[in-house]
Amino acid sequence: MTKKKPLIDPKSLKFLTAVSSAEYSKPTLKMGALIASVFDASLGVVYVGERASEFHGSAVNLTRTNLDNWNIIHPGLEVLEWALDELKKLSPENKELAKIQFNPDHVYEEDGRVRVILPEEKGCRIELVLREGELVDQMRKEIQLESYDLAIIGGSQNKRHLAHSLIQYLPSSIFVLQKLNPRKKYKLLLLVDDSAATRKSVEWGALIAEKLGWPVRTLTVSKTIRFGAGYQGAADKAKAYFDSRGIEVEQFFLTGDPVRTFVEFAGDNHFVIMGASTLNPIKQLLFGSKPIKTLEQSDAPILIVR
Amino acid sequence: MHISADMLFWVQQKRWLLIALTVGTALYFLVPAPQSLSENGYHILIIILMTLILILKEPIPLPAIAIQLIFWQVIIGGSTANEVGGYFMNDAVFFIMGSLMLAVAIVSQGLDKRLALGIIRFTGNKTWRIVAGFTAISAILSSFVGPHMVTAMMLPVALTLIRYTAKKGKSNSGLIAALLFSIAYGATVGSIGTPSGGGRNVIMMNYWAEFGSGSLSYIQWIKMVYPMVLIEIPITTFIILKTFPPELHSLDTAVRRLSVEVAHAGRMSAKELFSLLLFGGVLYGWIVMSEIYGLGSIALIGVFLFLAFGLVSWKDLSRGVNWGVILLFGATISIGVQMKNTGGAAWLADGSVHLLQSVIPNIDALRAVVSVALSGVLSNLLSSSATVAVVGPVVLNLGGDPILLGLASVISSAFGYFTAVAAPACTIIYSSGLVKAPDFLRAGWKMAIMSIISLALLSLVWWPLFR
Repeated sequence: MTKKKPLIDPKSLKFLTAVSSAEYSKPTLKMGALIASVFDASLGVVYVGERASEFHGSAVNLTRTNLDNWNIIHPGLEVLEWALDELKKLSPENKELAKIQFNPDHVYEEDGRVRVILPEEKGCRIELVLREGELVDQMRKEIQLESYDLAIIGGSQNKRHLAHSLIQYLPSSIFVLQKLNPRKKYKLLLLVDDSAATRKSVEWGALIAEKLGWPVRTLTVSKTIRFGAGYQGAADKAKAYFDSRGIEVEQFFLTGDPVRTFVEFAGDNHFVIMGASTLNPIKQLLFGSKPIKTLEQSDAPILIVR
Repeated sequence: MHISADMLFWVQQKRWLLIALTVGTALYFLVPAPQSLSENGYHILIIILMTLILILKEPIPLPAIAIQLIFWQVIIGGSTANEVGGYFMNDAVFFIMGSLMLAVAIVSQGLDKRLALGIIRFTGNKTWRIVAGFTAISAILSSFVGPHMVTAMMLPVALTLIRYTAKKGKSNSGLIAALLFSIAYGATVGSIGTPSGGGRNVIMMNYWAEFGSGSLSYIQWIKMVYPMVLIEIPITTFIILKTFPPELHSLDTAVRRLSVEVAHAGRMSAKELFSLLLFGGVLYGWIVMSEIYGLGSIALIGVFLFLAFGLVSWKDLSRGVNWGVILLFGATISIGVQMKNTGGAAWLADGSVHLLQSVIPNIDALRAVVSVALSGVLSNLLSSSATVAVVGPVVLNLGGDPILLGLASVISSAFGYFTAVAAPACTIIYSSGLVKAPDFLRAGWKMAIMSIISLALLSLVWWPLFR
């Protein structure tokens, strides 16, 4: 594994988080900013507003053009302005960020989105984007356009259905914050099996362990008493990778229902990393997948690697 | 077959397209046409059903919905391409196209700042007077120039007042809703007042002419319908103020700051004056010459003059007009005519009458109820213009006086107060992000009851004087 080209480049990570309003999105934005700063990643903040019926598109466009004449900002930009202010408050030490002023006139409309132009030459690694339409569709488009590595989502109980759709359809890795406590020292729990996503999960695990100094555990669960060569091989490769990076790792091999075992083992003091499901998407939709079921049953923060 | 997440996502996004196609295919192949309906009439109704699903859920772009209407008519509707094309462009479509362009031309002149100043001078600082003024001005202007232009001009005025009253940590949600709904509901209430108040009015006039049902001149329309607008203006104000009580009784500071802001516009320029004169000319043409030349042709003369005198650029016009909507109206009207020609409209009308005859024995009352209910309900789901384009041929086949039933249908299609999709004015205020969908329900049911009572009074007391 160590000889292969890494699947993630820690020097050019791009994270994306979606905000809806000051009322509901503060915790997600806060965690997104914190995580991006820990990984020294650039952070995209997207606000997805409702799209007006195309029937009245002319009327809405005409009104928006006229609102520009009155210096009234495009609806939704005020949420991005709030997000920028929050990011400044969260990083008071970032003097360059503090200097950046939100200017609603400095926007660029392209590819069905409105991007706020921020002075990148000053070292700003924040992207503020306004989109209109259905959330999952717009986040997919944003991730595909900007090649984000990771989408950070809240995962509150009443939005579980939305979280399922995001897990199923977003083309990047997804971090579901759930009840993540930034002050808590978690143990990393890496779920290892013979799926294709395990290698990338291991790389993410190593990166997080290095950045946060959290202890690492790998867990391999078999439904039967016998652990096949694929499972054993994947666990060995994971350990070898961590060893090569000088990270200590504890290995666990348990038997039972995979999801129930993950959930019971994780409790609330682990940060779970698992690969995205490789099941047929229709089966995932109808019967769920391990990540979706784990998300349903666990309160632990989960990183689903794709 | 390997199904990727991308394919599944496409299916999920396009499920309403697939549902529409499945329903259409099943009806076409598995369900025979009713005995009392021609084969082509049945197929036209299948196309309309599929189109309604597509318009309602918008799984594909609007122009694509229009395009499928065209080719289905040729493939399964028994029409030739020339027949479909022949009905595609008519005075109603010219009017919709022309009025959208005129709106862009007028709004780009910046006359709204002068309008704002005029309204404030008229209303003063009291919140209730401002709400009443917004409702009245929106209704009266919208009755002549259409709600989209009025709302585009009035919304910045309201948002500027809202901005100047905003205080950190203090919610002005009542004031915000009152100001925005006074524009949206005012413009919607007014849009029935004259034929040029909305595309649906002209679509109905076009159907009257096409089906040989008679006609109404611009002035006759005003005489028959405008009293309802005048009755509804004060009641609308009352409903808005009761539903969304403003937190502030006076907007002194905001009005003063708005006055200062709009005063910067200076004296009216020759260009602005000329634009006003041109638009006044278009209005005059609509009122006195529309019977001869049609509302659409006169609107296009106005557009031509705005372009010819360099008051607006073609680039701005073409960018500001949603050509997909124009395509859709052309296609919807063409299928409306086919629905009439193939007997589909008459079959639906007869079916509705038979279905409800045991509930409402009086045939005149039954026709009125069917006309109002069909238009009122559908307009809350589709847009009001699309509603009239689809429902118009059915209503005109109900029997009775087609002019009165047509007017009732057009008026009730403006009762789309419950949702943000029915009227352009409602969509615009909703897209500001400052009012939520439940707000439309809170005020909408009161507006609907008030409008139904007003329409009943109009048709029972006022219209008999004319017919």
